[in-house]
Amino acid sequence: MRRRWLGLASLLVVVTVAAHFLLPGPLAVDYSAILAPPSLGHPLGTDQLGRDAAARLLAGARLTLGLTVATLLVTALFGTAVGMLSGYAGGPLGRVVPRIADMLAALPTILVGLFVAAALGPGLLSIVAAVCLVGWTPFARQAYHLTVRESARDYVGAARTLGAGPLRLLIRHITPNIAGPLLAHLFLRFAGTLLTVSGLSFLGLGVQPPAPEWGSMVAEGRAYLFGAPHLVLAPAAAVILTATLTTLVGRRLDPDRGSP
Amino acid sequence: MTRLLRRLALLPLILLAATVPVFALPRMTGADTVRTVLRTRTAAEVPDPATQARIAAEFGLDGSWAEQYLRWLGAALRGDLGLSFISRTPVGPAVGDALLVSGVLAALALGLAVVLGVPAGVYAARRPGGPLDRLLTGAGLVGVSVPEFVVAPVLVLVFAVYAGWLPAIGWDGPAHAVLPALTLAVYPAALAAQLVRAETIAVRQLPHVRTARAKGLSPGRVLWVHTARLATTSVLSLSGMFIAGMIGGSVVVEVVFGIPGLGRLLHEAVLAQDLPVIQAGTLAVLAIALLTGVLAELLQLLLDPAAR
Amino acid sequence: MTLPARLRLAAACLLLTALTACSGGSPAATGDSLAVALQFPPRSAYAFDADDGALLMTLGVAETLTTVDENAQPAPGLATEWTPTSSPRTWRFTLRAGVTFHDGTPLTPDAVVTALTYISTVTAPPRAVRDIGFTVRADGADAVLISTKEPDPVLPLRMSSGNLGILAPSAYREGAAPAVTRTATGPYVLTEVNGADSATLSRNDAYWGPKAGAAKVTVRYVTDPQSRALALQSGDVQFAEGLPQASIAQVESAGASVQSYPAARTIELLMNQSAAPFDDVRVRRAVTAALDRPTLAAKVLGGAATPASDLFGSAVPWGATAAPPAADVATAKRLLAEAGKSALTVRLWTFPNRPEMPVLASAIQAMLGEAGIKVEVTVGDYAAHEPKILAGQFDMFLNSRSYLSDFADAASVLTSDYTCQGGYNIDHFCAPSFDKLIAGLSRTTDVGERQKVFAQAAKMLTEQAVGVMIVHPSNSAGSRGATGFVPDPLGVQPVLPKLRPAG
Repeated sequence: MRRRWLGLASLLVVVTVAAHFLLPGPLAVDYSAILAPPSLGHPLGTDQLGRDAAARLLAGARLTLGLTVATLLVTALFGTAVGMLSGYAGGPLGRVVPRIADMLAALPTILVGLFVAAALGPGLLSIVAAVCLVGWTPFARQAYHLTVRESARDYVGAARTLGAGPLRLLIRHITPNIAGPLLAHLFLRFAGTLLTVSGLSFLGLGVQPPAPEWGSMVAEGRAYLFGAPHLVLAPAAAVILTATLTTLVGRRLDPDRGSP
Repeated sequence: MTRLLRRLALLPLILLAATVPVFALPRMTGADTVRTVLRTRTAAEVPDPATQARIAAEFGLDGSWAEQYLRWLGAALRGDLGLSFISRTPVGPAVGDALLVSGVLAALALGLAVVLGVPAGVYAARRPGGPLDRLLTGAGLVGVSVPEFVVAPVLVLVFAVYAGWLPAIGWDGPAHAVLPALTLAVYPAALAAQLVRAETIAVRQLPHVRTARAKGLSPGRVLWVHTARLATTSVLSLSGMFIAGMIGGSVVVEVVFGIPGLGRLLHEAVLAQDLPVIQAGTLAVLAIALLTGVLAELLQLLLDPAAR
Repeated sequence: MTLPARLRLAAACLLLTALTACSGGSPAATGDSLAVALQFPPRSAYAFDADDGALLMTLGVAETLTTVDENAQPAPGLATEWTPTSSPRTWRFTLRAGVTFHDGTPLTPDAVVTALTYISTVTAPPRAVRDIGFTVRADGADAVLISTKEPDPVLPLRMSSGNLGILAPSAYREGAAPAVTRTATGPYVLTEVNGADSATLSRNDAYWGPKAGAAKVTVRYVTDPQSRALALQSGDVQFAEGLPQASIAQVESAGASVQSYPAARTIELLMNQSAAPFDDVRVRRAVTAALDRPTLAAKVLGGAATPASDLFGSAVPWGATAAPPAADVATAKRLLAEAGKSALTVRLWTFPNRPEMPVLASAIQAMLGEAGIKVEVTVGDYAAHEPKILAGQFDMFLNSRSYLSDFADAASVLTSDYTCQGGYNIDHFCAPSFDKLIAGLSRTTDVGERQKVFAQAAKMLTEQAVGVMIVHPSNSAGSRGATGFVPDPLGVQPVLPKLRPAG
């Protein structure tokens, strides 16, 4: 089972590298091949400027996945730190932080994105700000619960009696024990983050065309749904594949649960 | 219980506090609201300073932010949410109408999610690891990973463009609700299927069910009761998780399908800097999100005596 | 086995109701009625000080004192004739006899005074009557006197602006926008308004002119182009405007007839002349030479536009109709070398509200790259960037601009966009000779003469390479089950009344 996934992943890498060398640039226009269907020269066809859809998809991968990973890491680090601190400290801090996280988590992310776009104007900055504003809450909640659970364990008490300070306790003793579920959670949150990043670009509030981003590529392609459905289907398939694969990895890694 | 009541009492205070960022943030763009509004009304408009000043006064955009805020808050507390900058019609009814549309859509989507998700979970659990289970679990995995902006165009492509069975856009009768509701239902349905599957497997391991099966009897009744309970609890928990998100957050679906709900209203308002609509709409969603949070907790208390 | 049977039944029911409902959902053209899909919904609840005045005219609901003929000359509307009075500042408009409003009241001089006074005194009056000291008063039983601060050469033309539609006095209420249902004079009566989603029209059997083509029209505002094409193709509507180029073949094969016609609009590549490198006319000419406008129109926009050789296109009588030359990269490179700018990097701004803009920007980037000009494209919200662009903090800006201002006259756009003191002079072009030419318009009454000046002004702009006029976008409209569509490039004619159900 595991070998099969490994095979699929390496196949993806090989295809990506090969495509990078074989395909025309993502911005190279070719007026002789406008809205061409998939062929050998253009494996995913071309768009309204004769640009190679496969090349754009790959360039979009860099932007879409880069943004997703970057915002995910930021929110994960911040959320985890907040969650662990409040979980360890307990008291009023331990009560207030999960409350705030709950409240923010109840807000629809796309709506927060809309609101942030209203404040900052549509653009890359809006996406990052919107995702960061809400994205840390699930990490904080999970880190909080895990830390509370671990703090009650014997080894923590033992370490404490041996004179370990709170910071040392958190970093040296608790973190290694909760890293597994946290890592799994990172993968499980990937799909959600990708959804927000690309969703905001789809709505025209994030990455702007002609920069290739999967969400805005779907939005652009909708105008050609009749004659050139590959322009929607290709980025759509890319989003589905990436999101499903990361969710799957997250589930494999998660020792506790089978659902996100 | 008292904790719940205290939270309920806290709600208006939280909302009041939220009015400050809700009022201030949309004003912090570099763009000139008056120019944007004028251009939205008249495409080729080149506003002159005198007109801009008159419009600013009409909108109450003159004076300091604090002054503007207090003026708006005072009116809002009296139930007057002002006029839309663009259409110059009262904001309150516009948001109310949109809320109703989004509410109907959300209810349809949740209903669809339960109708699709609960049986899928029960079927999948009949033989864990069997072909049907693997198929449904795989579909569920894709279901929780696929964003709406992908589902919507693909559904349109299949059902409206190729098959021609359903309208691609609009909000004009039951046929128009099918594709958007389906789009919105994908994620909660997949989630419900997963939860129901896990629980059903657990129920099948219960001693009396196993005894019944060992005797060659149909486990029907027990599972029936179990399914009915699961259906109710999944509706409740899904509502708690998704209703706020669906009412305010179905922006993508409402934009793609041209549905006059709150999501589209806010999307258009943001693009046109229609501040009164942005403020009222955001507050409405905030209020719903907070209320559903409290209600979900209340229901949990009622259903699960152990949590009391 | 038995347990989920009911659930299955429920699911089947749900799907069935949905499917059966959809099969009965489309309103066909029954006898004497039409359904149409329009591109632009009312922007501001049919307010006359927004673009909605023009919309009411397109619908055939509201009418103005004058209209224009195919030469963009004023023609009789609710007024049958107009004459200058002894004062050069005042014109006398004689009202058409026997006109009644949809509410049954007659068209009187007082009604016209009420309507025009309202629109000239709102917070932001439309450009047709702004800042000209517009006043109107009754004169006898069948005429009004309209005065302006300065003698106005184009007053009769001005009165054809859709913003100046005349409603019955009952429509105007204190502190509210005019009521537009059953208050106008046109061939159609607006009977029902459903926000920005739809409206219902019924034929005005008491209309003074040729009667409207259908007894009832359902107007749907569909902003998504793809959906308009789908609606026409599926027979949901019998007429749709603004069809996406990619879907035209498909729609035609379904039996619709599609017409394309030029819009009074130019997509222009503006270059900032207040700073290097575009303060040098040679660099601007190099950019002009490097761009292959026929290809941009035919290939990049798929024929949804005609290549522009001038600010004005074939939508107006004075527009240029000759096609611009194709790209001449050698000349472009030579000009750049002469200017000492062989290696140039510039930034091009545009906005995504019109989907063709980012596409064109990419194509322009590729074409200028051939000539050695490296272009960085930034696509961003128009409103957020407008202040910087107006302040001259940009290199290139790709804009889409209507060259008429609510009535068939270009003086206002030429003034605001290209004179030294113009309020929308993005490219900071300033030439005294040009300003003098435009100033002369304020004394030119003859419409034919004015049109000659417009053409001359456009020629000056082209000679000075003030921006590259890229393309004039086309509009399209398709009908299937309806006949009689007449394109209205100037946007001042009733369109719907001429449509009639086929068969």
